[in-house]
Amino acid sequence: MRFASTFRFLGRAFAVNVKAVLEYRVNFFLQVFGMMLNNAAFAVFWKVLIDRTGGVGGYGFTDIMFVWAVSSTSFGLAHVVAGNIRSISRMVREGELDVYLLQPRDVWLNVVCSRTVVSAWGDFAYGFIVLALMPGVGLGRWLVFLAIIPAAALVFAAAFSAAETLAFWLGDSQGISGALQEFLLSFSLYPETIFEPGMRWIFYTLVPSAFVAYVPLAAWRSLDWGAVGVVWAAALAWLIITRALFRAGLKRYESGNKMGARI
Amino acid sequence: MSRPALAYRKYSVIAAVAIREKSAYLASYAARYLTYGLFVFVFSRIWAAVYAGSASIAGYTREMSTWYFIVAELPIFSFSAFFARVSEELKNGQIAYRLARPYGFIPASFAERVGPALLDLAVFGAVGFALGFALAGPPPVPAGLSFAVAPALALSLVLSACLQFFLQMSLAMTAFRLEENDAFYWIYQKLALVVGTLIPIEFLPDAARALARWTPFPAISWSPARILVAFEPREALSILGVQAAWVLAAALLSSAVFAAGRRHVVVNGG
Repeated sequence: MRFASTFRFLGRAFAVNVKAVLEYRVNFFLQVFGMMLNNAAFAVFWKVLIDRTGGVGGYGFTDIMFVWAVSSTSFGLAHVVAGNIRSISRMVREGELDVYLLQPRDVWLNVVCSRTVVSAWGDFAYGFIVLALMPGVGLGRWLVFLAIIPAAALVFAAAFSAAETLAFWLGDSQGISGALQEFLLSFSLYPETIFEPGMRWIFYTLVPSAFVAYVPLAAWRSLDWGAVGVVWAAALAWLIITRALFRAGLKRYESGNKMGARI
Repeated sequence: MSRPALAYRKYSVIAAVAIREKSAYLASYAARYLTYGLFVFVFSRIWAAVYAGSASIAGYTREMSTWYFIVAELPIFSFSAFFARVSEELKNGQIAYRLARPYGFIPASFAERVGPALLDLAVFGAVGFALGFALAGPPPVPAGLSFAVAPALALSLVLSACLQFFLQMSLAMTAFRLEENDAFYWIYQKLALVVGTLIPIEFLPDAARALARWTPFPAISWSPARILVAFEPREALSILGVQAAWVLAAALLSSAVFAAGRRHVVVNGG
């Protein structure tokens, strides 16, 4: 019953967010288009480079495009559904959590899902467009992609908000949380093999790029459903850690007596 | 005091105030310096992997490509914020207040934006050069020519700042007529990234390279980067000449866009 209620709540929050962004339609479509254009610029770079070299670190053009597709769509999904995952630090600092504490809902879920990021819709769509344009992607590969996206989005959402919850302890943590987020995003968009073996353990622990890019690529290459399971297991582990961190941090939260309302 | 001297004094005061304001909050830009550093690191790894199988690609060695990227990204990170500020001024009506002041809109905007951007360039440059030495050793400058490379590189970066400013101003001032003009800037920004920033234009296919040379984009990033990694006095002079010509053309374009646009300004209330 609790699950059903949570999903109903997520659905309602999502519907309200969509309604809000569609109020400014031109701006919405421009931002979506802009984000897809941004991603496409990097596709041109990889195409030119791989045509010249034949591959980078064992990755061909298709591999790179899959990594971009899965990272972009899952990053987009995380920000479309939970647009506040990168605002927690600011909200804690400015005392904006008060209004959420009074509501009869899970605070973390309520906070992160109360906004959608417009440009993230472009990221979300980009992965589907890339895969649709890629030759030889059969039903099996589409299913692997679709099964991985929600899990990878959870990894992004949980890891980003875990970094943001440092604000409960550090006060202004925007510098360090911004750095952690930048690392996660940057390392996810490039071949794992270009980085020294000595630093790759980071991608499976502190900066979980492996679960939004490298393991999904292994699953996609050999239709390995076991690897899909690994991504889901990592997502659940990150979710548990993040929620525990947020709950522990919330005990340290001090109200700023800031007046606010959610309409 | 003569008119040119007065104008010089007026605009240098505007630039000095903007630089002082920027330097007071330099630490708050740490995330951008970190992003740039991270980008340089990741691309140095890409070049290490790419050159594992070949010594040279399109005339560029691994060290040249690494240094190329470090310099080519400088104009992108340091000179990309002109559009948003000017465009916003036009959309929120601030322009009416500025037009009434005793200075030219374009020269004042130039002093106010390019001054602090050059301070930004110095910080990004310091980060980039420190990383470059650590990741690829000293820049591939021919022996005995380093005395010429430094001023040529500095001049090329300043010309790149001017070019970025006038091109972005021209795009921003379309807001005189259009409510939403962000898409123009995005297209411009991505073309600048693909044509000469992420990779040297020598890497592009022949037809794309020939086409790129007729656009101003190589003058933004390729020019300063090429001067550092493949310095040859005659080529450097030609590169600087082409950059200067594009700056002049872009300055004329921005003046024309401004002259056409200001006729559409309607001021309501106060």
